[in-house]
Order: sequence, then C-alpha cells, then structure tokens
Amino acid sequence: MNFLWQLVKLSFKQQLAYRVALWAGLVTNLFFGVLRAVLLIALYNGQAEVNGLTLNSALSYVGLTQAMIAYLTLFGSMDLMNTIYTGAIGTDLLKPVSFFVYWLGRDFGRSLVNLLGRGVLFMLLYSLFYPVTMPARLEQWLVLSLSLILAWLVSFSWRYLINLAAFWTPDARGILRIAFTVSQFFSGFIMPLRLLPDWFTAMIQYTPFPSMVNTSVEVYLGTLQGERLWTALWLQLVWFAVLAGLAHWVYQAGIRRLVIQGG
Amino acid sequence: MSRLWGLYIRLIGIQIRSQLQYRVSFLMELLSTGLLNGTYFLALVLIFERFKSVAGWTLGEVAFLAGLIEMSFASMDMIFSGFDPDSFSTKIRSGTLDQMLLRPLPIALQVLGSRWELRRMGRILEGLVIFGVALNLSPVNWTVGKMIYLPVVFLSQVLAFGALFIMGSTLTFWTVQPVEAVNILTYGGNELMTYPATIYPIWLQRFFTYAVPFIFLNYYPALYFLDKPDLLGLTPLAPFLAPLAAAAMMTIAVLFWRFGVDHYQSTGS
Amino acid sequence: MTEMIRVRELRKTFQVARRSSGLLGTLRSLVTPEFKAVQAVDGVSFSLQEGELVGYLGPNGAGKSTTLKVLTGLLVPTSGEIVVNGQVPWQDRTRYVARIGAVFGQRTSLWWDLPLIDSLELLRPMYRIPDVRFRNNLRDFTDLLEMSSFLHTPVRSLSLGQRMRADLAAALMHEPALLFLDEPTIGLDVVAKERIRQFIQHIHENRRTTVILTTHDLSDVEKLCERVIILDHGRMLYDGGLTALVERFEGSRSLVVTFGEAVADATLPNLPTPRIEGLQAIYPFDGKEVTAVMLIEQVFARFRVADIEIRRPEIEETIRKIYEQKLLI
Repeated sequence: MNFLWQLVKLSFKQQLAYRVALWAGLVTNLFFGVLRAVLLIALYNGQAEVNGLTLNSALSYVGLTQAMIAYLTLFGSMDLMNTIYTGAIGTDLLKPVSFFVYWLGRDFGRSLVNLLGRGVLFMLLYSLFYPVTMPARLEQWLVLSLSLILAWLVSFSWRYLINLAAFWTPDARGILRIAFTVSQFFSGFIMPLRLLPDWFTAMIQYTPFPSMVNTSVEVYLGTLQGERLWTALWLQLVWFAVLAGLAHWVYQAGIRRLVIQGG
Repeated sequence: MSRLWGLYIRLIGIQIRSQLQYRVSFLMELLSTGLLNGTYFLALVLIFERFKSVAGWTLGEVAFLAGLIEMSFASMDMIFSGFDPDSFSTKIRSGTLDQMLLRPLPIALQVLGSRWELRRMGRILEGLVIFGVALNLSPVNWTVGKMIYLPVVFLSQVLAFGALFIMGSTLTFWTVQPVEAVNILTYGGNELMTYPATIYPIWLQRFFTYAVPFIFLNYYPALYFLDKPDLLGLTPLAPFLAPLAAAAMMTIAVLFWRFGVDHYQSTGS
Repeated sequence: MTEMIRVRELRKTFQVARRSSGLLGTLRSLVTPEFKAVQAVDGVSFSLQEGELVGYLGPNGAGKSTTLKVLTGLLVPTSGEIVVNGQVPWQDRTRYVARIGAVFGQRTSLWWDLPLIDSLELLRPMYRIPDVRFRNNLRDFTDLLEMSSFLHTPVRSLSLGQRMRADLAAALMHEPALLFLDEPTIGLDVVAKERIRQFIQHIHENRRTTVILTTHDLSDVEKLCERVIILDHGRMLYDGGLTALVERFEGSRSLVVTFGEAVADATLPNLPTPRIEGLQAIYPFDGKEVTAVMLIEQVFARFRVADIEIRRPEIEETIRKIYEQKLLI
C-alpha cells in the first residue's frame, strides 16, 4: 500500500513539472471551449431551454467537458500499448503489484493533478467568459465527488482494456484511435447528450460511455435528480465492475499469449 | 527550377513509398483518422435534428463550410507535414537540420520533402464526403465563375494554413519546444472556419478579419457560392479576397522563416 | 599549390542562457534572461594547402566542432576571416556546399528508409553529377569500400561500419575538392576502422582531395595525418608535423625489461632511474648518446632477464600530456 502511495506521489510530481505546457494547454482548451459555447448560443437562438437543458447549463456543460479532458484523458492514451510493444512491460510485471492496480495508481496521480490543475483552473478561466452554475448544497458536492471518481474509474478501465489489444496485434494504433473516437463521441464530450436526438441517447444508454463524462456533468448541473440520479451513479459503478472484470480476463489471456510467444 | 521540382517529387516519393510498405496499418490509420474527425460532423448532423439551423444557415450550408475547410486543412497537413512544428522541432534537436544545411538545396524544399503524411488522406476523403453531403442538401447554382473560383479558394486555404505551420516551426528556432498556442490558429482555425462567422462575438470577428484574415478564406467565399447575403456589410469584394489573404499570410511566413534560418546559423544549435 | 582553407583570427562566442531551477527561477529567467558568454573559439588561425590531410585534435569542448561547423557553412562566426575554396562558407550556401563533402560520424546523411543505392542515386540530380562520372564513382566506391553486398539494404538496417562506408561514399560522389570528417571511425571495430582509413588514404592520394579530420582515435592520426592542429579551450596549441610533435614531447623510445626475479635496485650507472612496474623496469633512451644496444648489454650484465621489449614513443602519451598539461607552443 505504501508502494502505491509512492507511485501516486511520484506521478503527481512529474505532472507538476510540466507547468508551462499546462498554461499553454489551458489557453488552447479555452479557445475550443469558447468556440463550442458560441456555437451553442447560436443554436439556442434565444430559447431558454431545450430538452430540459437551459442555455446556462449547456454553457456550463461545455466548460466542464473541456475541463475534464485532461482529468479523464479523453483523447485516449497509448502508454500501456507502448510498454507492451517496447517490451518495457517486462519490468512492470516484476513489480509486486497487480498490473491493473499498478497502472491505476499511475493514472490516479496524474489525473488528480489534472483535475486540480487543468480542471479547476480551466473552470475559473472559463467563468470569465460565461456564467458557470455551481452546485449549491454540500451534499451535491459530495455526490459529485463520488460521481467524478466513478467516472475516472470507468474511463481508466476502458483505456486499460483497449490498450490490451496490443497483445494480439503488432499495430493496435488504429484500433485504439477508433475506440477512443467512439468513447469521445458517445460520452457527451462533443455535445451535451441531451441535445442529441432521443433515439440516439436511448441507444447509447447501454454503453459505458455516458458514464464517463455525461453523468458527472449532469450531476454537477443538477439535471439528474432523485431516482434517476442514483440509477446513473449505480450504472457508473456497474460499468466499472464490468470493464475491470473484462480487462482482468483479457489481461490473463494476453499474458498467456505473451509468455507463450516469447514477447 | 525543374531540377528542384524533380528532386522534390523524388523526396516525396521516398516518403510515400516507405509509408506504403506497411499497407495494413496504413489503411487502418486512414480509416481511424477519417472516422475521428467525421464524428465531429456526425455530432453536428445529430444536433441539427433538434435545432434545424444556426444563424440562418441550414445543415447543408454549414456542411459546405465544414467539408471545404476540412479538405484543405487535411491537404495542408499532408503537404506541409515537414513544417509541422512538432516534427520540425525534432529536426532541430536531432541535428537533421544541420544535415540539410550541408546539401545544395534550399532548406524549405528539403523540409517540405522530408515528410508527407499520406494517412491524412483519411481526413481529406472525410472532408470530401461532407462536402458531397453539402452539395446534396444545398445544391449550388454553378456558374463558370464559381467553378473557377472554387479551386482558388481551396488553394488559398491550403496556403494560409501552410503559412501558419511555417510560422509555428520558425518559432521553434527560439523556443525549442513547439508553441502550443499555434495550435489555436491551425486546429482552432479549422474549427472556427467550420461555422458561419456571424455566430461569433464582434471582437472575435474583428480579430479574424484584421489580424488573421480567416473570414476571407471560407466564410466570405461561401456566401458567394451559396448565394447568401453579406450581413456584416464589408466590401462587396470580400468573397474574392481569399487569394489575397493567403498571399499575405504566406509572405509574412516566408520572411519570418528566412529570418529564423539566419538566426539559426548565427547562434548554432 | 593553392591555398584551400584560410582561417584568420576565428572567434565564436555563444550566448548561453543561464537556467535557474525551481518555479521562481524559471519565472525569473523567462522575464529577465541571464546570458553567459561562452568563448568556444578564441582567435584560431591556420592555412591549408590543396591536397593536405590534416588532423584536427583537441579534448572535448576544445572548439573542434565549432570550427568545423564554421568551415562547413553551418555556423556564422563572431569574427574572423574565413575563405574556403575561394568562398566564404556561409555566404551563398548552396553554391558552397555543392563543392564540399562532409561526414559527421554521429549522424548519417542518408535517407533512413531507403535502400542505400536509392540514397546514392538521389545525389546525382542533387549535386548535378554527370551521368558517366556518377556511374564510375559508384562502381569505384562500391569496389573500394566493398559495398556490393549491402547496396540494396535499407540504410536503417546497416551496421555501423557499413553505414560509415556508405556515408563516405555519399560524401565523395560529387568529387568535392574538400572533405570534412568529424569522427569518421567512432564506434567501429578494428577491421572497419582500417577499411575507412585505407579509403581515406586512397581518396587523398588519388584525387588530391584536401581533408580535415577530427578524431579521438589517435591511430587514425598516426596512420593518416602528417600534419596536426591541436586545439584546447578555443585556442590553438600546436600546428605542425606529427613526428615533430612526438619527438618534441616524448622523443625517446624505451626499453622494457621483465626481470626473472625481484630486483632491489634497477638503476643503471649514468642513467636516470627507470620506472618500475612490478617485475618490469622501463628505461627511456634517446637512441643517440645511449643506444638500445648499450642498454641491453648493461641490463643483461647485471640482472636475470626474463624478457625485453623496445617500445616506440606513443602518440597517445604525447597528446595526453598536451591536453593535461596544456603545453603551449
């Protein structure tokens, strides 16, 4: 457990070193956030609310999704794939921690920094341009924290699972890219899911992707209440369990293959 | 002159050949990049199911903007790959630039010939599809003038983006690491020009009229092609200023580049 | 004989930014950057005649690479007069570079993914080499450097030795009058080094190519160079013949005697105390007043000798002394 904590701390420190890159990235995020916000305002064209989402909420939605890019590594990551390809996985496997937990720990430190650094910082900058709603009551913040952690777990499990494709093919890059495109699209990152057609949102309810982004944002905005709120949180947990379980099974198969083939 | 052109073609041929060696992964890359950027348009299509139009532009008309700018950006990304600031800054660090200085060819030519990302084809095709959707949904009243001007606009867009790439790369002579803010103008500019300029706040419009002339590259020409009125009331010549805007940007880029190379030779790496 | 390279009072100063550590330091250095002037080359002058083969030596950081970069037109000096092959290197770059050849040992000038032959073929239009001349050179170099076995191999798959040969061939395909070599044998095994050296020798002799060679391998220097220029801290320490250099600083050969049994005092009358290493004694002698024969006779008369060896003065020793003791001429 101490080892895990060391891992988190180290990862935290590494991320803190990229300070200049941080500010540059924030400005870029801000630009794209403002673009999307402008588009939404034009789309709304004076309407106060569309499908249960007010304009202000929609604007906050855009800001939040931009803020979460780094936290949830929304554009995907190929780190794990690369360690499999370079053979560096060998040294990782020698470490006395479960492979999944090891990568989880690494991701946690980084994500935490990004949540505070790029996430919160971004929201502050964004709020200079557009009004950002905030949860009023303490219990809302608590539920939000829970949802954010779950969102991260689901997102991590998905990334981890997808990267394991590297065990089976020498060039998984294209697969990864497609997978991350899908998760981006269906998670609500590009546009608030509520603004998309009902038949579409009905379809993607059965995927883990809304649990990655849309759920947490809606918790923040307060558009999920009562029973629907708890269902959504529950779904996040279930998807985490499913993806993690799948990942474990795939990992075992992959390692067997790796060992047999000789790496 | 023809010797230079011939050498450029040969250098590009080298790039293309080596990329085609890995045919399967190349197709995969093609597909995945096309898909990735296609989803942004897909999201737009889905949004339009609910909203029907934006600032008086229908889906077909927005698709015209989106498809054209996507094709030109991806084409630029392919042709000017050598000047991609990420790749160029690596050339400086690895000493490849010095090797180029030792060859009896203009540096810019060697940089252009050093990289040709064939997989951008995926995005070019995706842009073409979107453009096709546009023409289908909002047919254009083609005139001879429009048919001549369309490739001119396309070329202007490619050169304008290329100029930005060149400037971004030149900056790395000083900054070593590529400047992420340049992405705001390249990738950001691409996104920005996908939508009609009228949706943007006045200060943003002004900036992209007088500081960086994006408004003349896609929006204004589109008014001409789609026979839409100019609500901003700039000069009636506005739709035809695309090549001028591109030429201005490219001129500045080339001057800055020469300045950068001279600086590199006086200070070393 | 024409003067091929003329360097007068070459000076190059670099402004190096001082980097501070920590967040505050980084911010401070962004606003008010501090610069330190580094004098890489400080007043170097020399001339090279056409057809010379010169070794350009010095410890790391001496200013060798900087000089070479100036001479190849990569770098503009702070001050000084440089004329190479009738031109100022950094002016009219493409015209200058078309008439020189350069091999930088650490980096290849060839195209990584291409078969070697394709890289070489590309040189033809690039340097405007007439077809016949190109074919002849290609054939000659392939033979001399024994490249036929890997002419069609992609450059990235070549071994270091093969790649070095290829780079040399590429640098000479257009028959430049001048060849700059920066560590051409670095990292190579003994056989490969010898091949490279022989090729350089051949080119130098048969085509009267002027060659400047920087290297840390003193066997290169010994086998190829008659003249050496030694640099340290941006200043020239020596410019002259190699043999003269060696004689001057380590003019003596030595007799190395391995004794059959431990000897209490190995000193011989009228001779300086020898250096003792275990059962060995090393007696330096100048070969004029004290000859090898005299020494051997004396040694055999006094001691039980198991083995003897006559050692020639080592260039390495000499050079090391010059580097370490900074012996200015």
